[in-house]
Amino acid sequence: MSTASQSIKPPQPYANPYLAGIGLGLVLLAAFVIMGRGLGASSAFTAIVTTGVHAVAPAHAQANPYYAEYLGDGTTSPLMDWTVFEVVGVVVGGFLSGTLAGRVRTGVERGPRISNTGRLMYAFVGGGLMGIGARLARGCTSGQALTGGALLNVGSWAFMMCVFAGGYAFAWFMRRQWQ
Amino acid sequence: MKGWFSKLSMNAKLGLLLLVLGVVALFIGNPYDRATATIDTAELAEIVQREVDHVAPEQLADWIIQGRADYRLIDLRTPEEFEQYHIPGAENVAITGLADHGLLRNEKIILYSEGGIHSAQAWFLLRAKDYDGVYILRGGLQDWKDSVLFPSLSADATPAQRVTFAKMAEVSTFFGGQPQGVAAAARPSVATALPMVKIPAAAPVAKSPPPKKKKKEGC
Amino acid sequence: MIAPFYKFGLFGDNVSLVMAFVIGIGFGFALERAGFGSARKLVAQFYLTDLSVFKVMFSAIVTAMVGLFFLAAFGLVDLSLVYLTPTYLLPQIVGGLILGVGFVVGGYCPGTSCVAAATGKYDGFVFLAGVLAGSFVFAEAFSLVDDFYYATPMGSITLPQQFHMSYGLLVFAVILMAVGGFAGATRLERWMASRKEARA
Repeated sequence: MSTASQSIKPPQPYANPYLAGIGLGLVLLAAFVIMGRGLGASSAFTAIVTTGVHAVAPAHAQANPYYAEYLGDGTTSPLMDWTVFEVVGVVVGGFLSGTLAGRVRTGVERGPRISNTGRLMYAFVGGGLMGIGARLARGCTSGQALTGGALLNVGSWAFMMCVFAGGYAFAWFMRRQWQ
Repeated sequence: MKGWFSKLSMNAKLGLLLLVLGVVALFIGNPYDRATATIDTAELAEIVQREVDHVAPEQLADWIIQGRADYRLIDLRTPEEFEQYHIPGAENVAITGLADHGLLRNEKIILYSEGGIHSAQAWFLLRAKDYDGVYILRGGLQDWKDSVLFPSLSADATPAQRVTFAKMAEVSTFFGGQPQGVAAAARPSVATALPMVKIPAAAPVAKSPPPKKKKKEGC
Repeated sequence: MIAPFYKFGLFGDNVSLVMAFVIGIGFGFALERAGFGSARKLVAQFYLTDLSVFKVMFSAIVTAMVGLFFLAAFGLVDLSLVYLTPTYLLPQIVGGLILGVGFVVGGYCPGTSCVAAATGKYDGFVFLAGVLAGSFVFAEAFSLVDDFYYATPMGSITLPQQFHMSYGLLVFAVILMAVGGFAGATRLERWMASRKEARA
C-alpha cells in the first residue's frame, strides 16, 4: 500500500467485527424507529446524476422515465433527498472514525501484484458495474442486504445471496489485483 | 454454574444471548396478536368526553368538495345498503373486516354507519388497536341526509341560520340532493329521493394536482 | 404506538433530512470502525482469509431484526409502517450477481466507497466516479431494459409471509444461521491462516 502522507497517530487495529456489526445494527434500528425506513446509498448517486443531467439537458431528463421519478414535479431539487443527506453523513462519519483511529491517509489500496493505475482502472469498472447492478436490484448492500435483510424482505435475501455468489464466482479472476 | 458463563469469551457470550433471544422470539410468534388488545380506559374516556374525534356532516361535505385526499372514509353498513347509496369516496368495510382492510395506524380514518352506534363501536375497536386517527361522522348517514342532502330551514330561522342554509343548499345540489326550503315538513320517502351517487368528478374547485410524492424510501 | 416517529408525524420533511445526516454519520462511523474503508479488508471476504464482511453484515442484520421484532412485540413500533422495498425477483437476482462481480473488481460497495474516500483513498474516489457513471449508463439505457426491470414483481413481501411461517420462527432461524455462520467463519479463518503459514 503506497502512502503519500502520514497521519499523526499510528493506525489503530480495527474493532471487533461483532461489536462493529452491533453498532451498525443499532444505527439501522434507529433509522427504522425514527424514520420508518432503512439505510441506503446507491439512490443518492442516481439523484446526483439526475441533477447533473437535468442541469445540462433538462428536456432530455424530463423525457426519461427514470430521471423523471427523481425530478418529481420539479419544485424541489433531487438532491433534497433523504439518501443524499445520509450519504453526506456517511462521509463525515467515516472521516471522524478514521481520524480518531489514525487511519486517514492518502493512497491507493491494492494487492502487491498490480500497479496503482491498474487498480484505479479496476476501481472505476467495478464502480460502474455496481452502479448498474444496484439500480437493477433497487439497492446495494446497504439498502437491500442490510435493510432488507433485517426486515426479512424476500427480494433482499435473494439479492444478498447473489452478491456473495457473484463475488465468490469472480474472485479467482481478480486474484492478481488482490493477492 | 456462574463460573462457566464468565469463562466464555465475549463473542461467545454475545452468541449465547442471541440464541436466547431467538428462542424467546420463537415463542412470541407474531408480534401482533390479532385477538387481544390493551386499552387505557382513562385515556379513552377522556377522548370520548372531549369529543375531538367527531366530524360534522357539513365538514365532511366541505372536504369532499375541496377534493381532499388525506383521509379514508369507511362505510360500515351492508353491501346492499352501500350499493343503494353511499357518501362519495367511501369504502365499504364490515366491522369484522376492519383489521384486515389495510388501514394504517397513522392515517385519518372517518367511520360512519346508519345512525352512529356501529361507527362508535368500531371507533372503540380501532382505538384499542392503537389507531390514532379515527373519527366518527356525527349522526351517521341519517345526519348526512338531514344536513347535507336535504337541508331544511325552519320558518322562524335567524339570519345566521339563513346564511348557513343558503350555503348548505349549494352543497346539497352538488351532492345530488335537494334543499328542502322553508316547509321542512315534507320529508321525501327514502327510496325515491336518495340521489344516485355522483362521484363529484366535475368538482367546482379544481382538485389540487395529486401531490407528486417523490418521497423515495428505497435505497 | 408512536414509532416510526416520522410516520406518526412527530416531525416534518426538513427535520427528516437532518435525521438522515445524523444517521449517516453513525453509519459511516460504524463502517470505518469495522475497517470497511479498506478495499483489501473487504475483498478478503471473497478469498476467505478475512470474513469480517460476513460477520459485520450479519451482526448488523440480526441486531436490527431482533430489535425491531421485540419493539413490535411490545407494541412500541408499528411494523406495517416500516417501508419494505417491493420485490422484483429476477432483476434483483441479476443485479445481485452483477454487484458481487463489481465488488471483487472494484473493491468496494457504494456505502464503503464513501468511507474510503473520506479516509483519503484515491481508489475510493475513482470507485465513486464509477458508480456515478454506472448509474448514468443505466438511466440512459433504461428504455431498453425497463421490461426486465419490472419483471417478476412480487410486491412487498417478507420471508414469513412467503413461506407461511410465523415471524418469530424466521427470526429464530436467521439467528441460528448467523451464530452457526460466525462459528464456522472463525474456524475457516484460522484454517486459512494456518494453511498460509504452512506454505510460507
